[in-house]
Amino acid sequence: MSTNVTKRDAELPDLVIRREFEVSDLEQAQTGEVAIKLSWMERIWNVDAVRKLVILLSLVAVWQVYTVGFDVEPLMLPSFSDSFVTLYNALFHGDLIYKIWFSIKVLIVGYSAGLFLAAVLILWATASRFGSDFIAMATAMFNPLPAIALLPLAMLWFGLGTASLVFVLIHSVLWAVALSTHSGFEGVSQTLRMIGRNYGLHGFGYVWKILVPAALPSILAGMKIGWAFAWRTLIGAELVFGASSGSGGLGWYIFESSQNIETDGVFAGLFMVILIGFVVENVVFRNVETRTVIRWGMQR
Amino acid sequence: MDAKTETVADNKSATDTAKPILEVDGVTLQYKTKEHLITATYRVSFDVHRADRFVLLGPSGCGKSTLLKGIAGYMKPVEGAIRLKGREISDPGPDRVMVFQEFDQLLPWKTVKQNITFALQNGGKTSSAAEANDIAMEYIQKVKLSGFEDTFPHMLSGGMKQRVAIARGMAMEPDVLLMDEPFAALDALTRLQMQKELLQLWEDTHFTVLFVTHSIEEALIVGSRILVLSPHPGQVKAELNAHTLNHENVGSKVFARVQQRIHDMLFADRILEDEILGEELDK
Repeated sequence: MSTNVTKRDAELPDLVIRREFEVSDLEQAQTGEVAIKLSWMERIWNVDAVRKLVILLSLVAVWQVYTVGFDVEPLMLPSFSDSFVTLYNALFHGDLIYKIWFSIKVLIVGYSAGLFLAAVLILWATASRFGSDFIAMATAMFNPLPAIALLPLAMLWFGLGTASLVFVLIHSVLWAVALSTHSGFEGVSQTLRMIGRNYGLHGFGYVWKILVPAALPSILAGMKIGWAFAWRTLIGAELVFGASSGSGGLGWYIFESSQNIETDGVFAGLFMVILIGFVVENVVFRNVETRTVIRWGMQR
Repeated sequence: MDAKTETVADNKSATDTAKPILEVDGVTLQYKTKEHLITATYRVSFDVHRADRFVLLGPSGCGKSTLLKGIAGYMKPVEGAIRLKGREISDPGPDRVMVFQEFDQLLPWKTVKQNITFALQNGGKTSSAAEANDIAMEYIQKVKLSGFEDTFPHMLSGGMKQRVAIARGMAMEPDVLLMDEPFAALDALTRLQMQKELLQLWEDTHFTVLFVTHSIEEALIVGSRILVLSPHPGQVKAELNAHTLNHENVGSKVFARVQQRIHDMLFADRILEDEILGEELDK
C-alpha cells in the first residue's frame, strides 16, 4: 500500500484474476436440524388470541382490585364482579336478551336497507357519469354528517318508532359503503377491465363478475365502517328515545338502568355493546375476509 | 435464405394469393391525454395470415401497443379500417383474445382452472361446465402447469402467471391471439424458456398470433414475419420474414445480419430525431 496518495491520483483497486473452476458432482447437502421446534411457552405466546386475552384479563384485574381494594362507591363505579353478575342475571333471568334481539332486528333491517340503496346508487354511478358525480357529491355532503344529528328530523318525519331508527341507520350505512365501493371500483386495474370486456362481459355481468370481486377489499372495508357507524348510531338513538310501543333495545336498557341508578346495569349493557361489536367485527367480518380477499391474496 | 432481403413492395405481390385473416388498412390511431392529442400510429397497413406469428416491433412510442388495442377493439381508428375475416372490428370480443404484460391480468379471485373456465363460459366458447373443465385441464397440461389447477394466482411466480394467461388465451381458440409484450416483465432466463414453450405450442396447433415486442432478438426468435414500426407517430418501416430464425441460430451470421439490419432501421430514426431536436434547441 502506498502511503502518499493524492486525491486526484487515488489508486483504483485492480482486478484480482483468479482461477476458474467447475464442480462436477455436487455433494449431498447435510440438512440435519433445519427447523427446531420452539418451546411450548413460546408457541402459546405466539397465538394472537392468547396475548390479547392476557391484556383483557389484566384490565379486568386492575378494575376489580381498584374497586374492591379502595372501597369505591358502587353507584359511581361498581366492581367487575358485580357488573358481571348483573349481566348474567339480566341475560338469563331478566329480559335483556329480548332487548338485544330487538336492537339486532332493527340493525339488520337498517343495515340491509342501507346496503341495498348503496348498491342501487353504485349501479347508477357505474352506468352514467351523472350518477358518478352524484355519488361523489352526496358522499362528500352526507358522510361527515353524524346520523344522530338527523334524529330530530327523523322523529319529526317518522315518529317515535322503528321507522326513525331505520332511517338514521340507513344514513349511517349508505354513504360509507357507497363511498368506499365507488372508490374501489375506480381503483380496478385497467388490465382487469380490458380482460372483462375481452371475454364479452358488459353491463350488469361486467359489474358483478369483474368490478365487484376486484373491488371486494374496499367494499368489505366500507361495510365494516358502515357496520360500526350503524351500531353506534343505533345504541345512541335508543338512548335518546329508546322505547317504542312498549319494547326497547339495548340502548334503552342502558338508559333505563342509569335512570334507576343501577350503575352495574349500565355496565352490563355496555358489556353487551362491546361484545356484539367485537363478535361482528372479529368473527363475522374476519371470516368473510379469510374466505375471500385473504384467500385470494388481495389483502393480508 | 434470401427471403429476408425482400423489400416491402415484393412482399405485397407474393402474399396476395392467400386471403388474410386480419387486415389493417391505413389505420391512424389517436388518443388523448390531459393536454395533448397524440397520434400513436399513422396510416399503418399490414395483413396477417392464418398461422402467422406476426410481430409488431418498434421502440417505445411507435404505437405498437396502441395498434394491438385497436385490433382488440378497445380503440376505434380515426382513419382506415381493421377487418377480421372481412368484418370490420367495432368492439372487444372473444374472437381476439389479449394476453397482457401485466401479471394482474388473471382474476385473483379465481383459481388457475377457474380463470380458464370463466373465459370459456363467458366468452361463449361452451355453456357446459364439464366441457369447460375438460378444455381447461387440457390447456393447463399444455402449458405444463398440471397440479396447479386449484392454485390461486397470487401463489404463482410471474412466469407461471403468464403461462396461465397464455393457456386461457389459447383455450378460447381465437381467430387471432394478441400478445402485448407478454414476457417483458419476466427475468431473462424465464423469458427464454417461455419463448421456447410458445414456439412448441405453436408447433402443435399453428394458431395465429400477433405479438408485440420492443426486443429485436425476441421478435426474430418468436416471429415468422416482422413489421418494423418507426416512432412518433408509428409508421410502417419494413415488413420482414423471420420464419427461419429461432433459438438454435441466435448466434449465427444470418441472425446477426437481420438483427443488425433492423437495428440500423430503428437507429437511423434515432439519429434523425436527435438532429431535429438539436436544431430546435439551436433556434
